[in-house]
Amino acid sequence: MATTAESMEREQKLEGIGCSRKRKEDPRFIQGKGNYVDDVNLAGTLFASVVRSPHAHARIKSINKAKALALPGVHAVLTADDLKPLKLHWMPTLAGDVQAVLADEKVCFQYQEVAVVIADNRYIAADGVDLVEVEYEPLPALVDPHKAMDADAPIIREDLVGKDEAGQGKRLHNNHIFRWEVGDKAGTDKVFAGAEVTVKQAMLNPRVHPCPLETCGCVASFDKVRGDLTVYITSQAPHVVRTVVSILSGLPESKIRVISPDIGGGFGNKVGVYPGYVTAIVASIVLGRPVKWIESRIENLSTTAFARDYHMVGELAADKNGRIKALRVNVLADHGAFNSHAQPTKWPAGLFSVCTGSYDIPVAYVKVDGVYTNKAPGGVAYRCSFRVTEAVHLIERMIDILAQKLDIDKAEIRFRNFIKPEQFPYHTALDWEYDSGNYPAALKKVMEAVDYAGLRKEQEEKRKKGELMGIGICTFTEIVGAGPSKACDILGVGMFDSCEIRVHPTGSAIARMGTQSTGQAHETTYAQIIATELGLPSEVIQVEEGDTSTAPYGLGTYGSRSTPVGGAATANAARKIRDKARKIAAHLLEVSPDDLDWEIDRFKVKGVPGQEKTMKEIAWAAYNNVPAGMEMGLEAVEYYDPPNFTYPFGAYICVLDIDRHTGESKVRRFYALDDCGTRINPMIIEGQIHGGLTEAYAVAMGQLIAFDANGNLLSNSLMDYFVPTAVETPKWETDFTVTPSPHHPLGAKGVAESPHVGGIPCFTNAVNDAFSHLGVTQIEMPHTSFNVWKTIHELGLDKQV
Amino acid sequence: MAKKHISFTLNGAAVETLVEPRELLIHVLREELRQTGSHIGCETSHCGACTVDLNGKSVKSCTVLAVQADGGEVLTVEGLAQNGQLHPLQEGFMQEHGLQCGFCTPGMLMRSYRFLQENPKPTDDEVRMGMSGNLCRCTGYMNIVKAVQYAAKKIQTPGGK
Amino acid sequence: MEVKLEKKFSIAAPAANAWRLLQDIKAVAECMPGAQITEQLDDTHYKGQVKMRLGPASATFNGELEVKSLDPNEKKMEMFGKGTDTTGASAATMNLTARVLDSGNGQCELVGVSDVSVSGKMANFGGRMMNQVSEQILKQFGDNFTSRVMAMGEGAAAEQAAAAVAQQPKELNALALIWHALLGFFKSLFGGGKA
Repeated sequence: MATTAESMEREQKLEGIGCSRKRKEDPRFIQGKGNYVDDVNLAGTLFASVVRSPHAHARIKSINKAKALALPGVHAVLTADDLKPLKLHWMPTLAGDVQAVLADEKVCFQYQEVAVVIADNRYIAADGVDLVEVEYEPLPALVDPHKAMDADAPIIREDLVGKDEAGQGKRLHNNHIFRWEVGDKAGTDKVFAGAEVTVKQAMLNPRVHPCPLETCGCVASFDKVRGDLTVYITSQAPHVVRTVVSILSGLPESKIRVISPDIGGGFGNKVGVYPGYVTAIVASIVLGRPVKWIESRIENLSTTAFARDYHMVGELAADKNGRIKALRVNVLADHGAFNSHAQPTKWPAGLFSVCTGSYDIPVAYVKVDGVYTNKAPGGVAYRCSFRVTEAVHLIERMIDILAQKLDIDKAEIRFRNFIKPEQFPYHTALDWEYDSGNYPAALKKVMEAVDYAGLRKEQEEKRKKGELMGIGICTFTEIVGAGPSKACDILGVGMFDSCEIRVHPTGSAIARMGTQSTGQAHETTYAQIIATELGLPSEVIQVEEGDTSTAPYGLGTYGSRSTPVGGAATANAARKIRDKARKIAAHLLEVSPDDLDWEIDRFKVKGVPGQEKTMKEIAWAAYNNVPAGMEMGLEAVEYYDPPNFTYPFGAYICVLDIDRHTGESKVRRFYALDDCGTRINPMIIEGQIHGGLTEAYAVAMGQLIAFDANGNLLSNSLMDYFVPTAVETPKWETDFTVTPSPHHPLGAKGVAESPHVGGIPCFTNAVNDAFSHLGVTQIEMPHTSFNVWKTIHELGLDKQV
Repeated sequence: MAKKHISFTLNGAAVETLVEPRELLIHVLREELRQTGSHIGCETSHCGACTVDLNGKSVKSCTVLAVQADGGEVLTVEGLAQNGQLHPLQEGFMQEHGLQCGFCTPGMLMRSYRFLQENPKPTDDEVRMGMSGNLCRCTGYMNIVKAVQYAAKKIQTPGGK
Repeated sequence: MEVKLEKKFSIAAPAANAWRLLQDIKAVAECMPGAQITEQLDDTHYKGQVKMRLGPASATFNGELEVKSLDPNEKKMEMFGKGTDTTGASAATMNLTARVLDSGNGQCELVGVSDVSVSGKMANFGGRMMNQVSEQILKQFGDNFTSRVMAMGEGAAAEQAAAAVAQQPKELNALALIWHALLGFFKSLFGGGKA
């Protein structure tokens, strides 16, 4: 901690932790010199395009490739039959199920992959796709998850008939995937039976899609001479992809190089292994040439990892003062035709059981049933922290509904139920240990900033005039940083993460991590961590990720885990280097290592001013003048297995006004306070909050992946899927508190998903609040003008003068 | 289909190539001419990641046939910096943290380049409206507006551009 | 994606003629722009084709038609049709009930009620225009049917009708339909009634 003007100046020069320094990534992006997957241009590259099913559920009677193969420029047309000898027509998913790579005798969702055309360029490939003739026999489609377990429901997964387990425990029906229960059922039921007050509400967290601006794709290049496979891929977890590809192809990992170059947004859409990747890899191995597959936006929205589709019923038992005594939740989860979402193995509903939220709830019980439907596979995506969006949506709506029933102010009821600061570390009724938090302080700060009391007064006046004004509150606790390997693994690989740092003789450094940036500026923020730990300017610390041949093994980036896990690995690796540097400094200064103090960028001999060595000087010495018995060099590797998740939290307030005649909501104000512990780069954090809130706005106010009764997609292009522009996006106000994580080396928690997790309930609470004086308890998302107008119309509010 | 010969000025330099009549300008820029700065984010002309400047107007190059550029002047993000000097917009995006993943950025830059020529002293709301054809998923637009205003001020300052 | 349609066509010809034409499945099919029966499988089953054009792109839908019932007393026919385009990208099914009602004075009315279900690309993107485009298709069908019935009679009107039948286009021009549908839509906004 710098205490003098001189030491402060040295600290500022480092541009380390806490500095809003400009991003090291920017120069290439602002000059159009980014390197995204579609920019990769290898000599001899062929282009792959996918033939897709128009039906949600159908048998494939025949596939005629002749016309396509006859088109000049078409090199191959692959179907399941071509993949069968390689046993690649099915592949394992990240959730313990299997997924068809190319449809094997039947298709189970609209746009499912049926065949792949490989051609000289994308135009010929598209022509080829139009020439492949597929004969289908349509089958009745199962679209409503509530009907999935009916006796007469169509059977979707014929490959699972007779199997009473699909990788997640016993199945109750052919369309059932898992039942997951947690908590104390008997204890919870008992409390409900004797409660003074109970509320119960069904609510839908509708199916949406992350829609990053760059779609998914890869360039697979198999070198027949060397027997090496290189895959450039839009992946948030390149090492996991390498392991999966090795398992699928039989090639050893040492012969596979997976490279995630620059990625145009992930948001959980780029975690899974998609059939397009596998077929491109197979095609490249077979043809011995690079094969590029880049999906279109329609393909992206139709087939890649969607988010949510949780049909939830929440119940709260409380006393008449609004003090919650128990929580009971039942969820029907629509997973689509294959269970493919990313999840730590033992949690088929992700981290949903964090749904007790920021509140001190003594007992709770949660049951989740996952079912198959004739829709695209997925479920965990879109800044959700593994189903935490669903969990927070549930508890934040329920507490508002309880407040409404008891006529208690919606902020007041939260203060009555918050976990108090002195209760940390807090063990929840569903078995999570929250590390640290101060919820009352956060909410208080936000309420003062927006003059909450004044807003409620204004709302009362407006209500008298028949105007619709809503105030939404959300006080959320997030759970990120998956996770301790004893609890968290993906396909058996523990969810640690890693960092390797090497300091060069002239005082600059290179560092590589097992995480993967998709816009979060890791090249900048990790460099800042190292700068503070090692006393070298972040400007000269080169950070690389994404190349599995050079980066140490990591589980990638999703669920806001980079800072909690990768950042901890980075800090610890840097500290190992500093320990060695201390010994070298002691050697150079001819003192004992214990006689030295570390100050910002140098070791100083205690009590002897002027006797000091900077890290830069030590770096040089590390390569030519080290103590006897010590190895040369200055580097370290750390594989960090986190002892716990981290729990960022926040308090958001949204004020909106709804037009009584059109149902249009205008967001007047959105005030977001986030606590992510130690803040590495405030400018970058604020940018993340803006982005997450905008995505929350999109979800709450307009996004829906819609189907008709036959399983046809109705909103799978940007004509219909709502992505907000600069015009409708509200202006965000951000604020913060700092409650460090006690178990993290830097006290940092991670933040990028919080605004999405907290933003969605805040918007939907605001819209619901606009009507709660009229006895309405639940209006479902998305809150499009038309949907809101329907409620207005039902209540006859548009008829009043 | 027989290919057509087209020639135009790209970022100040003459270029020529053979294209099929149905080929889109974005593909010709990215693949034949190897200028991969402009990106493809959709196929329904909504996202604006492909925005370039054609004959003095912002166009979405995914909805322009390459042959329509014949004899014309095209400016892409690769041509914004002059003599090694970044354009005030490029500076603005970096100074104001107007980008995160960078995928929408070239489109934002090219659109705001033309927008500031159409409206050199815009209000924030005018910037939002002027840029409404360019989608971004990462930034939430706040800092993009700031970046454009940074550039607007710099361009208006004598000796600034 | 499902669309329910109901249409009435006034025909200046006797009901008996209209009913006779209605039972001639080949002729009825030819009233649908771009459609034709290619094979008769048995008394009630037929194979057919619809050629469609959308600007420079064209597609051929292959399908099957089944006449489910014919009631001469009611002059009512029910049929079921289904088709897919040859690449499998879109598919449609239709249930149609057609009746001829006598309006007296040698005039009649053809009443059609249909349920059309569409899947694939047409459902994803055509949905927004389905109602209007279907209206247009049925309007053309009605005009063609009316011309054919009237051509069965005698006199100048019949000759005119016969000429109209001969001029029918042999394929469904989707762009033209969409254009007409748009015109109809805008007209209806301004109270011009359904086109």
